[in-house]
Amino acid sequence: MEVENLISLTQFCEHHSIDKDFIFSLNDHDIIEVITINDKSYIHIDSLEKTEKIIRLHLDLSINIEGIDVIMQLLEKISNLENELILSKKKLSIYGIE
Amino acid sequence: MAFIDYYKILGIDKSASEADIKKVYRKLARKYHPDLNPNDETSKVKFQELNEANEVLSDPEKRKKYDKYGKDWKHADEFEKQGQYQHQRQSSQNNSSQFNDQDYSSFFESMFGNMGSGRQKTTSFKGQDYASEIRLSIFDILVSQKQTLSVNGKNIRITIPAGVENGQTIKISGHGAQGINGGPNGDLYISFIIDNPTKFKRDGNNLHLEVVLDIFTAVLGGEITIDTLSSKVKLTIPEGTQVGSKVKLKGKGMPIYKKEGEFGDLIVTYTVKIPTNLTEKQKELFKEIAKA
Repeated sequence: MEVENLISLTQFCEHHSIDKDFIFSLNDHDIIEVITINDKSYIHIDSLEKTEKIIRLHLDLSINIEGIDVIMQLLEKISNLENELILSKKKLSIYGIE
Repeated sequence: MAFIDYYKILGIDKSASEADIKKVYRKLARKYHPDLNPNDETSKVKFQELNEANEVLSDPEKRKKYDKYGKDWKHADEFEKQGQYQHQRQSSQNNSSQFNDQDYSSFFESMFGNMGSGRQKTTSFKGQDYASEIRLSIFDILVSQKQTLSVNGKNIRITIPAGVENGQTIKISGHGAQGINGGPNGDLYISFIIDNPTKFKRDGNNLHLEVVLDIFTAVLGGEITIDTLSSKVKLTIPEGTQVGSKVKLKGKGMPIYKKEGEFGDLIVTYTVKIPTNLTEKQKELFKEIAKA
């Protein structure tokens, strides 16, 4: 794995003023993946947006990890359904049906 | 700018208790949180309004001021002339507002300055973590030891467990920077650098050692004495020992981290030194062996 695509967990947690244990708990719940190389922990840059969203939900709305897990799954489902809806609308428009 | 009724935003009565405000705010925040309403600008604006309303109404002092002057917001200029809020207004005009692209109450800005969201204002933060390094020799970590560190003028006594790894980091909770707004203190992370000037190569709990045998001992067998990290060990070399053959000395490796009295192994790999500068007689003898 390329190190330049990884963000130091220490730096990330300092930046967001969040406890590392919270991130490790997210990892334990398979919500995000924490990567450990030579005893140092990182998160992949692709997980950054998702992790920041989770932190906002946790801090703004006091949602616990189980709740976050449910929310993230439902958001993903909604997103998939929205995409399907857009696709279906496009297909219908081919036949002149709006 | 138009006066914004924070009570209306939260949908509560003016007589609502702090608990009511908190409850309603939480409920609406969950409903309009931008992360739960992606691509919905209305929710984003609504959430900012909620934060602003909560910021004022959840603070008794701010709420009191709001209740007193809020109704007469249309006459705010007159209040300013009276100099009641002159200083606050000036600072508000000098500062850029976080909500400057929204139709937010300038009352809020003039009275409380440029504030962020509810979370930014009310959440306490953990103090910054500190990181430090301790350099030790491989001999230092054969037994657990205590050391006293000085961090920001405070002495911290730590126990370094035997067998700590090179590069390993331990966390000492609460010994980092002081928390912000009553938040918990940060942690202290100590990394260990283990110097190993010996001929032993460390692989986790095991040590590896290469032992060079002379050709006669390798062929005929014999006894040798080798050094381990903590003692000397006598080894019996069997006849016909091959280059690269290994022998494992159980319990002669590194102490296992946080497992008192348990040790890894020492793995000895034999190599054979081929003699050079043989005498004529030695060469003759080798030739005879070769013919046999």
